[in-house]
Amino acid sequence: MEGDNQEQISPSQSFWAESWKHYRRNPVGIIALSFVVFLTTVAIFAPAIAGTKPVVCYYKNQLYMPCLGYFNRSLESPIFTKDKFRGTYPTNLQEKDPNSWAVWPIIFQDPYRRVRENEWPGRPANPSRDQGHPNLYNLFGTDQYGVDIFAKMVHGTTIALLVGFVSMGIAGSVGIFIGAIGGYFGGWIDSLTSRLTEVVLCIPTLVLILAIIAVVEKPTIWKTMAIIGATGWTGIARLTRAEFLRLKQTEFVMAARASGAGPIRIMFAHILPNALAPVLVPITFGIASAILVEGALSFLGFGPPPPTASWGSVLNSARSNLQLWWLVVFPGLAIFLTVLSYNLVGEAIQDATDPRLREAKK
Amino acid sequence: MANYLLRRILLGVVTLTVITFIVYGLARSMPGNPLTVQLGESDPSRKLNAEDQQRMLEIYGLDKPWPVGYMQWIGKVVRGDLGRSITRKQPVTELIGERIGPTIIISGTALLLTWILAIPLGLYASARGGCVDERVTGLVLYALYSFPTFVAALFLQIIFAVWLRDTPWELPLFGMSDLPSDAPLLLRIKDVAWHAVLPVVCQTYVVLAYNSRFIKSNLEEVIRQDYIRTARAKGAGPYRVLIIHAFRNTLIPLVTLLGLSLPALVGGSVIIEQIFTWPGMGRLFFESIRERDYPTIMGLTFMFSLLTLLGQLLADILYGFVDPRVRME
Repeated sequence: MEGDNQEQISPSQSFWAESWKHYRRNPVGIIALSFVVFLTTVAIFAPAIAGTKPVVCYYKNQLYMPCLGYFNRSLESPIFTKDKFRGTYPTNLQEKDPNSWAVWPIIFQDPYRRVRENEWPGRPANPSRDQGHPNLYNLFGTDQYGVDIFAKMVHGTTIALLVGFVSMGIAGSVGIFIGAIGGYFGGWIDSLTSRLTEVVLCIPTLVLILAIIAVVEKPTIWKTMAIIGATGWTGIARLTRAEFLRLKQTEFVMAARASGAGPIRIMFAHILPNALAPVLVPITFGIASAILVEGALSFLGFGPPPPTASWGSVLNSARSNLQLWWLVVFPGLAIFLTVLSYNLVGEAIQDATDPRLREAKK
Repeated sequence: MANYLLRRILLGVVTLTVITFIVYGLARSMPGNPLTVQLGESDPSRKLNAEDQQRMLEIYGLDKPWPVGYMQWIGKVVRGDLGRSITRKQPVTELIGERIGPTIIISGTALLLTWILAIPLGLYASARGGCVDERVTGLVLYALYSFPTFVAALFLQIIFAVWLRDTPWELPLFGMSDLPSDAPLLLRIKDVAWHAVLPVVCQTYVVLAYNSRFIKSNLEEVIRQDYIRTARAKGAGPYRVLIIHAFRNTLIPLVTLLGLSLPALVGGSVIIEQIFTWPGMGRLFFESIRERDYPTIMGLTFMFSLLTLLGQLLADILYGFVDPRVRME
């Protein structure tokens, strides 16, 4: 009899599969998610989309990928420095090795410098100052120094998403840890962590960040991420604490304790997986707000130093050149759409994972 | 009640001490000091020699390690003295008094506007919940909520100060007033109002979007309850149900929200005041961090944190008044 019964019952879907089923039915959520996937693709392949360094090139009987130099200078083979390429590849490759060939990025423009005349055979130099309207060669125009905005935008995507993920990775780990120990142990540990959360919550975020940035002296993009992460964990901590308070009284936790599991194991192997769905929502919103904060910091001139091509720094250069509208419209829309889509994804996750809301929608 | 208040106030004092301690430590750890930053930047030849600098540091009490400086600062605060600004040679309270007016012009107007607009918008959204027009406004409000203020400010500046230049629609780009202080009062008021339009719009729209969504989601929760069905069943019209029956019960979370907006009312927005060079509190804060003006940084931090804590306390107390079920314990 038992065997018969088991055959008839279809395996129940996992929580995440069920949630995904609900998420899929939400058209706005799907559009937002596709945009996030699109952004991620742009971020990963940025040097292949816009750049002046070949994606792949064959030079003196060897294959190189100089485009990786955009991610990290040390990934660009030293042979090009030795052969005095000085960053201009097209003509130098031909001159120094007639047998060489190269696969170029889709758009030949550089996010860090002005492209000069005939750098690419037959192409004019980038216009500068107020002449840089969007044109055939500079899709989004150029800034006052003649640097291409499209290239900056593409490479800025990498930075924006890195900021979002790294800082929320930090904030998520800190927030989950603090919320978890506070909620699980209770007592004086809880009052300590709750006070700590309250203190950080009370100091205005921008003020805290500005003060810390001044302290670290030379700001790099990594330090900015760390600071945004170190200040943005309060919401996550509060939510995690609430979830842990609720879950620590359930039967499965008692069962785990009875079978001899230690507190760390119970907290992170038993409770956390069940608390993850509600915690995922503020993390998604947090990614949006981290991108926003980085934009605001760069905009105020407190961001990473100039060679970093972040969206906020393009906006910052627009502040003193208001007639160059393309310096505002493109990065402004990019920040807006990114923040909007992350917020919408967060909202959709909330709708899909919260059974109470799911019931309400029916 | 008294017991509860006492405990909250004591906890608040502890929190306040920790916050100011952290910020004081951070401020004093920033590279440079008010003397070097101020003089060195403007003119290298005016840089103080080491001896003079040491003497000045002693005058301001900055030669001792920062925990000692903090103790001195808090000792003064307890006696009601926020100290003197080092770079502006003015008592900090006086500085705050000068800047608080302009900030309230912007944030007070914005706060008033958001509440006047958010309540009808929220009511409308839940009355027409699910209809096409409601969905469109909902999406627009959501988009506004995600629209960064600094981008919006730049857009508005381009439209109203650059593209519409020399038309009747032109609005001033920045500052608070172009008129000399001896101009007639009415003209000066008009001028300030003219300058305030763009900053007020920027500060209003985000909060408006957030608040109306907040009101709507609260209303939706209330509307599902039984007593609303009863009200409908006894024949109350849809608007009567919404406004008289449902809305009153969403006041509780609204009161919390109102209490939490207290610090923003006085603190202003660093970004908006910076973009529009509006001489308010946010800008003062930004400048004081740049100038390493420790007394001003600390005075402002103290005020912001105090207001945040007061706002929370106020919200919790009002909560008890609005909702008799809530007990202060």
